[in-house]
Amino acid sequence: MAWRDDWRRVRAIARKDVTTELRAKAGFNSVASLGVTILILLGLALGPDAEALRNASVGAVWLATLFSGVLAFNRSFQVELESGALEPLLQYPGPRWTIFAGKLLGNLIFLTLMVAIVVAVGVVLFGVPIPADWPSLVGVLALGVVGLVVLGTFYASMASRSRAREVLLPLLLFPMLVPVLLAATTASKALLGADVMHEAGAWIRLLVAYDLVFLTATFIAFEHVIEA
Amino acid sequence: MDASNIKFIIAAYTVTWIVLLGYLLRLVRKGGRARADYERMAQQHSGEKSQ
Amino acid sequence: MSLKRERELTHQPRKREGKLTSSTDHLRDTQAARPPRTSNWLAFVSFAAVIAAQAYAILTSPADADMGHLQKIMYVHVPAAWMTFISFFVVLVFSVRYLWRRRENDDLIAASAAEVGATFNGLTLMLGMIWGRPAWGVWWVWDARLTSTLVLFLIFVGYLALRAFTEDAQQKARWSAAVGAIGALNVPIVYMSVKWWRTLHQPPSSPETLDPAYTLGLRINAIAMLLVLIYFIRRRYEIARLERAVEHMAEAAAMGGR
Repeated sequence: MAWRDDWRRVRAIARKDVTTELRAKAGFNSVASLGVTILILLGLALGPDAEALRNASVGAVWLATLFSGVLAFNRSFQVELESGALEPLLQYPGPRWTIFAGKLLGNLIFLTLMVAIVVAVGVVLFGVPIPADWPSLVGVLALGVVGLVVLGTFYASMASRSRAREVLLPLLLFPMLVPVLLAATTASKALLGADVMHEAGAWIRLLVAYDLVFLTATFIAFEHVIEA
Repeated sequence: MDASNIKFIIAAYTVTWIVLLGYLLRLVRKGGRARADYERMAQQHSGEKSQ
Repeated sequence: MSLKRERELTHQPRKREGKLTSSTDHLRDTQAARPPRTSNWLAFVSFAAVIAAQAYAILTSPADADMGHLQKIMYVHVPAAWMTFISFFVVLVFSVRYLWRRRENDDLIAASAAEVGATFNGLTLMLGMIWGRPAWGVWWVWDARLTSTLVLFLIFVGYLALRAFTEDAQQKARWSAAVGAIGALNVPIVYMSVKWWRTLHQPPSSPETLDPAYTLGLRINAIAMLLVLIYFIRRRYEIARLERAVEHMAEAAAMGGR
């Protein structure tokens, strides 16, 4: 029964975040536009050779996701902070981890929509051929996004309350995401090719391990971080 | 002995000592300032007590 | 403290003496926790040990078959790398201990170790590049060790930036403990991922097998550097305690109405 209450709290926070972000014109649209703009700039910087663009496509999509994702994470706590709603939120009965889980879920939905747009634009702009094994590619993308969202939400809960949130969040987050970036880009490249060395499987396992390790660690640490 | 390698060895040891002594200097300066602040505050406190 | 509490419980009017007592109480608290004073002998001993160890190692080590005298960089590079890892291990241990027990001193030790560790980390990277230029012909290779050391450096730059940009002492302590512990947790994962990333594309750089002629020199250099590390962390911790004591006294003075 308590489990169901916790789940209701998580869902309520996630739904609130997603609806406010989608309704606010400045929210989803601008973050997604930034992702697409970064892709276009990377295409201009690396092109126009079609072969070079195709090789760089995976890296470009991931970089665009990281840079625009940072903005999304910072926003996720900003609304509460500006309206002074974080304190009351913490006062509500129920375990604190539900707040983190709710924010996580909200950001996950938000980022998934954004990544879908960025990937679609990337496939078109960089001329990426869709391989037969595209579901695995989607799986890699999903695992990478989970890792990104877990750490992004966790660090945003601190960085957005500090004095220099714009700089601090990428400074904290990007070095932590090195394994995700390496695993996701290498696995995607392998899957886009023929994966002759069968390396994608090892990278996918690494991504799963990374997601589980940091999901656990951030859930434990969040209790300490969120206290006023 | 390769003469060009000697340059790199000298560079390595120089960099090491610059960093070690540089950090030591930082600690000495920062420590002096912190100690002075502390003594001044402690002085003010005991002054308050005797009032 | 007990006097003040008693007065609150018995609802006695707060008189002027009450205010004075409470401010001297604060003074007694800070004096009881009087910051430690690291004596200077450790500084002299540790730096003398480094000079002696380097002199010994440079004078006794024979030229290496492959690298000639370039091998002598190892005596500073490898100990610096070890000290980096020791420091960040200290950060991990004391961060977790802080979250566990919530003692201010644990936080200050972790922060001191992080600053010293970042210094040694920067030194390690510079020495790695100075080594790489003549040994491999380039300043930088995306080698697993080099790259993960760089990522480690970035993680702890983030840690120190977080501390610099947070005002509240409690918040600073809790946040940086979380960032320090989670950052340290990431180090083996980063190392493994960069290693795979490299090895799947190119053969790894030759493993460093160490001739026994060099091990003694390396060991005494590491011990000498460890003394410097201990001195640095202790001294940095002492300064952090002093600064914290000043903050507490300033707070107490402000609460006293002055």
